[in-house]
Amino acid sequence: MSAEFRFSRAWSIARKEIRHVRRDPFTLATALGLPILLVVFFGYAIDFNVKDIHMIAADRDNTRASREFLKIFTSSRFFKLEAAAPGQVPQSALDTEQAKGVIIIEPGFSNNLGAGRPAGVQVLLDGADNSITGIISGYLTGIQQAAWKKFSPGPLIQPLRLQTRFLFNQEQNSRWFVVPGLVVVVIGVLSILLTALTVAREWETGSMELLLSTPVRPLEIIFGKLAPYLGLILLSVGMVYLIARFQFGLPFRGNHLLFLAGILLFLTLCLAQGLLISVITRQQQLAMQLAFISGLLPTLLLSGFVFPVESMPPFFQYLTYILAPRWFMVISRGLFLKGAGLLELAQPLLMLLLLNFILVGLALKCFKKDLEP
Amino acid sequence: MNLTIKGFLRKEFSQTLRDPRMRIFLFVAPVAQLLIFGYAISTEVCNIRLGVYCSPGDVLAQRIEERCLASGWFVPARGPGEDPYRRIQSGRAEAVLIAPPGGLTRALQRNEGRLQLLVDTTNMIRARGIERYIQMVIQQVVSEALPGQEQKPMLKLDIRVLYNPGMQTAFFMVPGVMVMLVCILTILMTSMSLAREKEMGTFETLVSAPIRNWEILLGKTLPFLILGMILVLIILGAAMLIFGLPMRGGFWKFILASFVFVCTTVSIGTLISTLAHNQQQAMMGSFLFMFPGILLSGMMFPIENMPPMLIGIAYLNPLKYFLTLLRNIMLKGGNDQVFWINLGILALIAVIAVAVSFKRFRQTLN
Repeated sequence: MSAEFRFSRAWSIARKEIRHVRRDPFTLATALGLPILLVVFFGYAIDFNVKDIHMIAADRDNTRASREFLKIFTSSRFFKLEAAAPGQVPQSALDTEQAKGVIIIEPGFSNNLGAGRPAGVQVLLDGADNSITGIISGYLTGIQQAAWKKFSPGPLIQPLRLQTRFLFNQEQNSRWFVVPGLVVVVIGVLSILLTALTVAREWETGSMELLLSTPVRPLEIIFGKLAPYLGLILLSVGMVYLIARFQFGLPFRGNHLLFLAGILLFLTLCLAQGLLISVITRQQQLAMQLAFISGLLPTLLLSGFVFPVESMPPFFQYLTYILAPRWFMVISRGLFLKGAGLLELAQPLLMLLLLNFILVGLALKCFKKDLEP
Repeated sequence: MNLTIKGFLRKEFSQTLRDPRMRIFLFVAPVAQLLIFGYAISTEVCNIRLGVYCSPGDVLAQRIEERCLASGWFVPARGPGEDPYRRIQSGRAEAVLIAPPGGLTRALQRNEGRLQLLVDTTNMIRARGIERYIQMVIQQVVSEALPGQEQKPMLKLDIRVLYNPGMQTAFFMVPGVMVMLVCILTILMTSMSLAREKEMGTFETLVSAPIRNWEILLGKTLPFLILGMILVLIILGAAMLIFGLPMRGGFWKFILASFVFVCTTVSIGTLISTLAHNQQQAMMGSFLFMFPGILLSGMMFPIENMPPMLIGIAYLNPLKYFLTLLRNIMLKGGNDQVFWINLGILALIAVIAVAVSFKRFRQTLN
């Protein structure tokens, strides 16, 4: 058995793997269909600028002032109001999932307002639905300010005005927030899905022993097996990029070479992780469970894709330091939206490099130890 | 009980639980995940890195900074006070307040105070939250600095968040994470177990054995139904003991809803395995179902606002109904009307899934 690495042998393994993929419509459909599905879904479906939120209004004052107050809600277009049925207990609308919130105007609202006494308005929100309650309470601040303007006796003097500039995403477009994160999700999910099982399958069906008895070296097996998937994933990343730029009109303010470097660093990390899972488990069902726990869920939930890393308790913030998707998320958003350069992205890039050294080294060591007598 | 089914049960249980690592994955990992996600993730806007740029003598601007930091939402920005734009770009600050050139204190006396806020809007939800917080702090500071200038009407929205008055993240997140974990584990276990028999060739042996179709189907699915229900109870126990999640509705409602949901996911797993030829395909098939399923469940993203076609798909999504049921039963006390309507729809989906998977299964067998 010759010791040095030969590309010709790795290439034969790669050809075998390509044939596997080509014969398997499922893999192709997943590799190329899933990214498109994700991008289209997130590009069109997710909008954090929620409109027409269904609310129940219980106007117990029923005067001109109270009706005008409710009009502020409807004219904001964020809310759609429905008058409460007479005698209805307001909270029951939430119990029965009829509405996301209830507005209760106490009797005497108009009189109190005119006399400068506190005028009571109560808003009940559905605390069981986390996807929307935060958004509604944000809108309510705006409503309150609009109400102040409308009902103030004289012209409202604002001794101090706040001028806010929303940097990098002036129109506060949800798409700009979600789509750069998708590049991370697509790579993270696909690479682990595709690679965690390929090597485990060879073990389970016993064909790994067969491969080992040939002159092919372990390292060549790895490269041969992973190269086709690397190509496939790069292809789907390219697709995601094109859709993001030309279909959704996202800007790309950074350097493309830096982006490519980040992608390759992150991708090798994910592939190494998939390989490590395969080697450790040697069994497909286990490999898949581990892939889900260590790859999929952190990528979706702990990377800052939707749930910001900054909102986590300190312990978990430090825990995310060992998660590659978290770092690549910073790089992707930085390049798409912020126009960050090498200097600004030094920390995430270095962290990816460091994690690469650790994980690739570990994977190769385990793989070799497993194979060589 | 039927002897064949008993044999199947014994075989599947020992096959699934034989490997100690698999036992860990099935019973310990879900609890660990519930812990991590229940504690870690939230959409609450906090730990905002704030940088303030003002001259040393500007008392008012400094008071605003102090108030911000004392509110608990903000932390000081990292790094030296370089160019504010660059500081946000590199992520060392998330929001930056810039006082006017002559100082905010003097500008306010002339009634033309202008404070500039630069905020990182790569996450627009956070950016809006930050602006809101700063508005609140400024109003407070200004009304203290200029007493008697209050022109605002006495109108205040008294906002109450029902069912979760402490705004505890766990109450928000845990029902969603429960749905996700139960769905992932049951579908993957079921689909891959059948696909494995196909891959190994033992499926042919099963088919040629003198047992009836429904016995094979029941024998291959019942174990996972039982495992799924055990899983539900473990996760529920962890949620109630660790996070103190309430069970305000009837416990039987919870069990019934979980049972119907697990029936649905196990049949969907079976359906996927009839389409797949090996375990890898089964896994990808499961994934192609679960991913949209989780995203369209209302767990992370509001469904109400999606395009009509996607809302249509969301209405076919069993995860959506189970999530509504869990939230309603655990947090809201289980309104009867909501319970029966959602359970009815979930059961309907379950029946369809069972029927279709049984039909596909028979075709595969013959």
